[in-house]
Amino acid sequence: MEASQLLQNLLNGLAIGSVYAIFALGYTLVFSILGIINFAHGAVFTLGAYFTYTLVVGQFENNGLLKGVNLFPQGSPLSGNPWAFALATLVGAVIAGFVAVLIERLAFRPMRARGADPLLALVSSLGVALVIVNLIQLLVGAEIYNFPSDAYGEVRPALSFQIGDRVVIVRTVQIIIFAVSLAMLAVLGYVIGRTKVGKALRAVAESPGTASLLGISVDRFILITFFLSGFLGGLAGTLVGTAFGVAGPYFGVTYGLKGLAVIVLGGLGSIPGAVVGGLVIGLAEAFVPADYSAYKDAVAFALLFVILLVRPQGLLGRTQIQKV
Amino acid sequence: MKRMALTVTFTLLAAAQAQRVATPVPIGVAVAQTSNTALLGQEQVIGARFAEKFLNARGGIGGTPIKLVFQDAAGDENSAINAFQNLITKENVVGIVGPTLSQQAFAADPIAERAKVPVLGPSNTAKGIPQIGQFIARVSAPVAVVAPNAIKQALRLDPKIKKVAVLYAQNDAFSTSETGTFQDTAKAQGLNVATVQKFQTTDTDFTTQVTAVLNAGVDLVIVSGLAADGGNLVKQLRQLGYKGSIIGGNGLNTSNIFPVCQQYCDGIIIAQAYSPAQPSAANQVFVKEYRAQYKKDPPQFAAQAYAGVQVMVEALKAIDRKKKLGTWNLNDLRAELNKQILAGKYNTPLGELRFDKDGEIIQKDFYVAQIKMKDAKTGSFVFLK
Repeated sequence: MEASQLLQNLLNGLAIGSVYAIFALGYTLVFSILGIINFAHGAVFTLGAYFTYTLVVGQFENNGLLKGVNLFPQGSPLSGNPWAFALATLVGAVIAGFVAVLIERLAFRPMRARGADPLLALVSSLGVALVIVNLIQLLVGAEIYNFPSDAYGEVRPALSFQIGDRVVIVRTVQIIIFAVSLAMLAVLGYVIGRTKVGKALRAVAESPGTASLLGISVDRFILITFFLSGFLGGLAGTLVGTAFGVAGPYFGVTYGLKGLAVIVLGGLGSIPGAVVGGLVIGLAEAFVPADYSAYKDAVAFALLFVILLVRPQGLLGRTQIQKV
Repeated sequence: MKRMALTVTFTLLAAAQAQRVATPVPIGVAVAQTSNTALLGQEQVIGARFAEKFLNARGGIGGTPIKLVFQDAAGDENSAINAFQNLITKENVVGIVGPTLSQQAFAADPIAERAKVPVLGPSNTAKGIPQIGQFIARVSAPVAVVAPNAIKQALRLDPKIKKVAVLYAQNDAFSTSETGTFQDTAKAQGLNVATVQKFQTTDTDFTTQVTAVLNAGVDLVIVSGLAADGGNLVKQLRQLGYKGSIIGGNGLNTSNIFPVCQQYCDGIIIAQAYSPAQPSAANQVFVKEYRAQYKKDPPQFAAQAYAGVQVMVEALKAIDRKKKLGTWNLNDLRAELNKQILAGKYNTPLGELRFDKDGEIIQKDFYVAQIKMKDAKTGSFVFLK
């Protein structure tokens, strides 16, 4: 492989891997608090992209109940320049966060209150995911939606530089994805590691009973966790949608599965693990030989399988010690 | 015993009654109304509806109107099978126009073949479709006939083209069939196929394929996929700096691709089985109506769906002239309709067409168009001489 292609693949892999990482962090946060996988996370990812699309475009042309609706006949105020688009992305992610809170109230809390098996909560979240996906299809149709390129305004052209006789080009949107993901990871790392909220979250994750005795409202922090998880999922949805288009209501299914691979690879419940796992899978996909790139999803899961054979707890996970 | 005999008699009578041909005469249309294939299916629905309106206004079948019964065949095989089964067993249609994808045709057409219901594929262009069975025909010229025209036209526009990259959706039967034709034609034209890349119709990230294409230093990229993935691939090709010519396969042959690749659609060359400039009277009426309603020229998928309904109606008219449709048993009529479809000659928006004994379309004229975008949202197919 030539140096230019190597570098191009590396940059492509880092961009997509960083989205996998922030998406997977949503899974990890919920898992570390409740010890269960929230299967509705992929649907929240999809919703995030649709929320931003609604704020930026507000027009639905495909085969859904909203066909023909135009929320902004004069053009959206959240479109046309990068800052307006960033604001729409942020608001979209916040709404996605509130949807995740709603999911917690409807699908997880009732189960927890009855002391139900965690497996039931998992099935319940799967049901919520299917309802959301079908609701999206009913409302806006099943077709792909694209953010119009003028929605970001006049963004700088893609980064490009020459290596030998080849030009390496990185799309502007890839740079934005990478930068936003890094910023989110830094903020989240700070919140979890350095703030009181973060300490409380870690306490709840370690032992809900003890945290409750220390005066921490466990239910409140579970809601905060779900909000953060939904926010990260929704943000990842918009970032991917901006780069590649919002590919219909089932858009989040593949990313949902890949997010699972990321957190298992990185180590269940490990925040640094989710980041490393995301980057490893993104890079692995980018380096699949181009002739076989149609199989890149299979390659990601094959890599997961191989690594788990060698290190069952994942790359940065801790071995569970069973006390007898 | 007497009661049992009566029950059996009533059941048989009811069954016989159900097997009569209904009026208005029901013709099934099983195309994609949802899924990413709906980008193509929506155009087919419009084309079929135009045919229904126009042909009924002209007296339908000897004074009896037709009624199109739509079923959503979506973009997958199971949905197409369900649509076919509903149309055959519940809606008692005389024939079916559909499904949208070749991939679906290979799964759903055998259902119609077993039930002896004639099928006209409106956009099934893969190799082997009419050979699925005696009741299967198509109004969509096979890709092996249409696609080579695009490469010849690209070479006419840029005679310096030497190296080619071919990309195709490996999970779509039509795309895998079409790419074979493109590769053979490229080699036959003396071009060097520098790289062949695969993707999936469900993919969104094509950066790996695009990087390999850029690295191969090609002058022409040929994409066989569907509108959503193909359009996205074109967008990423251009955004990552590819400047050469692009040929799109039949799956990209829809104005619904414009919102996907936006201004990056500009310049894509696509071979066509239809041109709005086709001079037949049937086409001129179709084009006039379409322009009046949609303020643009009709696309190929709409024209083919129109032709599918028209062929079925004209074949039914020929039968009706010999023996009134209302007197036929449904199963017998379906068999007779199949024979009549293959025997007739039709003046459709696609021009004059007829069928060989397998149900393969025999069509005279083909065209090549190039996409010209006015802005990020609106564009048109400009037909090349």
